[in-house]
Amino acid sequence: MIAKKKWSVGTAVIWIIIVGAICWALFPFYWAIITSFKSPGVILTKPSFIPWLQFKPTLFNWHNEYISRGREITLALLNSLIIAGGASLVAVSLGTMAGYGLARFRFHRWKNKDMTLWFLSQRFLPPMATAIPFFLFMKTFHLLDTRWALIMTNATFTMPFAVLIMRDVFKELPLELEESAWVDGASRFTSFLRIALPLAAPALAVSAVLCFAFSWNEFLFALILTYKKAQPVTVIIAGVEHTQGVQFWFVATRLLAAILPPAILVLTVQRYIVRGLTFGAVKG
Amino acid sequence: MKKKERIKFLFVGPGVLWVLAFTIFPLLFSLRLSFFHSRLGGPQKFIWLGNFGRAFADYRFWSVLWVTIFFVIVDVALTVLIGLVLALLVSRPLRKPLKGQRVIRAFFTMPLFTAPIALGYLGLTIFHEEIGAINTVIKALGFINLPAWFSDPWLARFAISIVDVWQWTPFCFLVILAGLQSLPDEIYESAALDTSSGWDVFRHLTLPLIGPVLFTVTILRMVETFKLLEIPFSMTSGGPGMATQTYSYYIYLTGLRNFNAGYASALAYILLAIMLIISIFFFKRLRQIYE
Repeated sequence: MIAKKKWSVGTAVIWIIIVGAICWALFPFYWAIITSFKSPGVILTKPSFIPWLQFKPTLFNWHNEYISRGREITLALLNSLIIAGGASLVAVSLGTMAGYGLARFRFHRWKNKDMTLWFLSQRFLPPMATAIPFFLFMKTFHLLDTRWALIMTNATFTMPFAVLIMRDVFKELPLELEESAWVDGASRFTSFLRIALPLAAPALAVSAVLCFAFSWNEFLFALILTYKKAQPVTVIIAGVEHTQGVQFWFVATRLLAAILPPAILVLTVQRYIVRGLTFGAVKG
Repeated sequence: MKKKERIKFLFVGPGVLWVLAFTIFPLLFSLRLSFFHSRLGGPQKFIWLGNFGRAFADYRFWSVLWVTIFFVIVDVALTVLIGLVLALLVSRPLRKPLKGQRVIRAFFTMPLFTAPIALGYLGLTIFHEEIGAINTVIKALGFINLPAWFSDPWLARFAISIVDVWQWTPFCFLVILAGLQSLPDEIYESAALDTSSGWDVFRHLTLPLIGPVLFTVTILRMVETFKLLEIPFSMTSGGPGMATQTYSYYIYLTGLRNFNAGYASALAYILLAIMLIISIFFFKRLRQIYE
C-alpha cells in the first residue's frame, strides 16, 4: 500500500477504477442531455449514445418546451427560484443567529447541546408526519398554492443545516477579536455583524447553498401544497406523464432544468459540505 | 451584565420559535388525528388506538414496511461499502492526497444534489424496457432476453436500488474520505515499520479509527432511506403491484389521495417511532461531540 514507485500496476488499476466511478457518476447526466437533443422519432426507433455519429442532434425539444409552450416551465423555474431563495434567506438568517447564540452563550434551563440536538432532530422527522397538518393549516389560512407556503415549510426543514454549520464555525473563531471590539464600546450585536459574520462568510455561503439546494429539490410538500400558480419545477416534471405514456423528450428537457441549477451551484462550494451534511459529526 | 445576558435570547429566539411553531403544532395535531377515525373534510370519531390496531392487521402495512426495510438494508450496505472502497482508493496511500482530488470530489458531489423526483424520471428513461439506455446496451451485446425492469417485482426493486445507490454513494464517499484525511500521518508511518500488508493496516488501524465515521454515515443513510418516496413515486409508481411501494409512499396515498387522515397519521407516528429507535444511538454520540 505504501507507494514507493511512482507508477505500478496497482496505481493503474486504481486510476481505472476512479475513472470508471466518475463515468458512472456522470452517465445519467450525459444520457439526459443527449436525450434532450434527440428528435422523438430517434428516441422511439433507434436508441443511441453518440451525437452526430449515431443521430443528428436537434434543438426541437428545447424550442418546443421553452418557446412554443413556454409559460409553464418558465413560471415553474421562477417559482422554484423564489421559493428556494426565500427559504434559504429565512433559514440562513435565523439559523446563523441561532448558531452564533449557541456557540457564544451558555444556556442553563435548556442546555446548549440539547437545543442543538433539537434543531438537528428536525431532519430526522419523517415529512409525512407533518404533511397533513400543514395541508390543513395552509388551507385554513388561504395559503394553498402560494409561494409563501413552500417558503415556510422549506425554511423550517433546512434551518438545521444552517444552525449546525454556523454554530460549528463560530465556535472555531477566536473570541479575542470580538472582545477587543467590546472594549471599544461595540455591542454584542455589532461585534456579531461586523466581526464574526464576515469571518464566517465561507460557511455562510455553504449554508445558503445547502438550504437552497434542498429547498429546490423538495417535492412532497410542493406536491401537496400547490396545484397551479405556485408549482415549482419538481412538481411540473411529474405532470409530463401523459396518457400516451412517458414522453422522453419533454421529460429530458424538464428534468435538466430541475437538476442542473443545484448541481452546478454546489460545485462552487466544497468546503464544509461534509460537515454540513453530517451535522458536524464529521469534520471536513 | 444583566442586559448582556438577556441578548442571548434575541439570538436563538427567532430560530427556535420558528422551528417550534412549524413542527410542534403539526406534530401535536397529527398525534391527535391518529386517535380519530377522520377523513379530510368529513366527520371525526374518537377510536382510541383503533388506527394503530388497523395498521397491524393491514397486509399493505406489512408489505410497505417490508419493502422499505429491504431498501434500507440493500441501499445502505451498498452505498457505505462502495463509498468506503472508493475513499480508500482515492486517499491512497492514506497520507498524501491524490492529485486532482478536488476535481474528483466535485464530480461526486453532483449526484448528491440531484432532485430525487427528477432522478426517478431519469431512471424511467434509462431502465425503459424497449428504448432505455441499459437495455439498448444489452441488446447490442447480442442478448435476446432483455430484463423486464418494470414488470418483474425484483428487477423493479433492484432498479430503484441502483438509482438510490447512484445518488447516495457520493455522500458516503465524501464523508468517509474526510474521515480518512483527518487521521494523523504519524500512525501510518509507525505502522509501516511493523507490517507491509495493506490489509493489516486497514483492519487493525484504519477501520477502528474511522469506525465512528462509518457509524455516522450508516445512521444518516438509514434515516434517509426510511423516508424514500420520490424515486419509486416517479420511476415505478410503486409498481408492479405494490412491489416498490415504500412506507412513506403508502402514508401519502392513504392520507392525501384517499383522504384517510386519521389512519395516515397513525402510520406516520409508527414511522416516527422507528426513526427514533434508529437515531437514539446517533444522538448519544452527538451529545458527546457537541459538548
